Amino acid sequence: MDDLYLILATLAFLGGFVLAVVSWRRESERPHGLSIPIAIAGLVFQSLFLHLRGQLHGRCPITNGAEVLVFVSWSIVILYLILGRAFRLSLLGVFSMPIVFLFQLFAIVYLAVADPGARPPAHLDPWLELHAAMSLLAYGAFGLAGIAGVMYLVQDRQLKSHKPGRLFYSMPPIRYLAIALVRLVVIGTVLLTVGIVAAFFMEVKPTRLHFLVSGAVWFAYALLLVVHAWKRLPPKRLSLSAIGAFALALATLSAL
Amino acid sequence: MSIFCLGVNHKTAPVELRERLAIAEHSVPSHLGEICGIEGIEEAVVLSTCNRVEIYGASALPEEATDRLIAYLESHFAVAPGEIDFYRQTGESAAHHLFEVASGLDSMVLGETEIFGQVKKAYAIAQETGTTARRMNKLFQQSFSVGKLVRSGSSIQQGSTSVGSAAVDLAEKIFGRLDGCRVMIIGAGEMSRTTAQSLLSRGARSIIVSNRSYDKAVELAAELKGEAIRFDDWETRLDHVDIIVSSTSAPHAVVHAPMIRRVMERRRGHSLFLIDIAVPRDIEEEVNEIDNVYLYNIDQLQQIASEGKARRERQIAICRDLIAAFLREKGIEALAGTPEDRAVREEAGKRNDSPGRALPQS
Repeated sequence: MDDLYLILATLAFLGGFVLAVVSWRRESERPHGLSIPIAIAGLVFQSLFLHLRGQLHGRCPITNGAEVLVFVSWSIVILYLILGRAFRLSLLGVFSMPIVFLFQLFAIVYLAVADPGARPPAHLDPWLELHAAMSLLAYGAFGLAGIAGVMYLVQDRQLKSHKPGRLFYSMPPIRYLAIALVRLVVIGTVLLTVGIVAAFFMEVKPTRLHFLVSGAVWFAYALLLVVHAWKRLPPKRLSLSAIGAFALALATLSAL
Repeated sequence: MSIFCLGVNHKTAPVELRERLAIAEHSVPSHLGEICGIEGIEEAVVLSTCNRVEIYGASALPEEATDRLIAYLESHFAVAPGEIDFYRQTGESAAHHLFEVASGLDSMVLGETEIFGQVKKAYAIAQETGTTARRMNKLFQQSFSVGKLVRSGSSIQQGSTSVGSAAVDLAEKIFGRLDGCRVMIIGAGEMSRTTAQSLLSRGARSIIVSNRSYDKAVELAAELKGEAIRFDDWETRLDHVDIIVSSTSAPHAVVHAPMIRRVMERRRGHSLFLIDIAVPRDIEEEVNEIDNVYLYNIDQLQQIASEGKARRERQIAICRDLIAAFLREKGIEALAGTPEDRAVREEAGKRNDSPGRALPQS
């Protein structure tokens, strides 16, 4: 049953992406009317998948690569639904849906080929659960910040080239993108800080590699925020940094 | 009982004729009273804007009613018989015409939104005057629904159609709302004035005007409710403005890249939008290469405006499909119960394009 929910969620995100492309092709300023309901439907199926996997393991369902990717996708979607509207970034969905779709597709293939099955813990450690959940939510925020960074670069290029393309009218103002990017990095850094602090209270301490990797990601984002607060980084450099930092964070996921 | 529409617009009559027929808002009620006094006219609404003068009405014999209405207009507006070629439509065509008017499809600036408010105002005046009843009420209320549907279901109002609106749209794509934006005008020419007015109309604040002739700067600043500064001082104020509109008559560039680079170092990441509408150009092209600085010249703005017009024209088919789908579902309520209404519903099911119109297409 969990496989079915995962497939339904993936199809919903594929549908959301197709609708976004249709709106873009029609040069519409607003997203398609069904895009938000479809994203919500995808989120519900994702949540059902994670709920069933949680029941299977008897703990937070992040015991293998597929579940981790679905959890990160879930954070991206939930943050998009909450913050996308608040920041008037309606087109965030166009850019986030392909990533979410790819993550989920990878998860489907992974589980079809090598589902490790139930991995219940010998003893449930709430600090471990908190550490894992907060860290992956932080990755969702960093992912969305990276997407906002890509959108900034696309819009900046369109403005500089003097040839506004089809995307131009559908994209939010670059000032809003820069503001949203900083807020997402702040949210992600706060969540990751909570996750890392929780790790210090875990019964079984993480490996040194785990600490080093988490610390490196936290340091990269904290440094970005400090430098930005101090020197007010130009938005273009900020966007490139957010994209680079998320690439680093993604590359380290397998080590965690 | 059917409905009719009689009038002239920017496609059928030049401004010299339209202005003779124009009916000032304060005199619309008295004309409405007189029009409803014409034999055979039961209801009436007058829509008089700078681009059109149209009279919508209900009558059992619309052909005869519109003949009498033309005679009324010719006698009241000093128009010789036959001097103006009025278009007239009845039944479904009249309703369809109003739907396109309310949607901005019949406007000079395709998709403009002002007409929607003007149609609403015309209907409100007729309602207050007591010259509307079931047919006009249904017709106009349905036109408001169609207008909203077309605007929400298409991108007909999207894209700039003039240099001023292109500049404002670009500013909004950079800064979002222009509420907090500060504007500097360098060179108090006509183009600067219209561009500044466009920016002000979207909420920009604190306009600073600088001009070689200080008196002209003071004059324009007073008109725009801004501040005039001497031409030697404009560089000192650059740190605190977000948009610069330059249109001096200088034969060489007055805004240089090194100057803007220095300014950007002090602006702590805030974007700067420069609009160069001068020929020869006032702003060095290299300025556009500076991070977070966006420079547009007159040709680039004109190019965006012409692309915007083309984009709107591409939306016409989508808008007409929306109207056809609406009619398929709802029919024309003002014609409800008439054989024509039944025909409309049947035809709307088959039709994709708008019905044949007596009006010339632009």
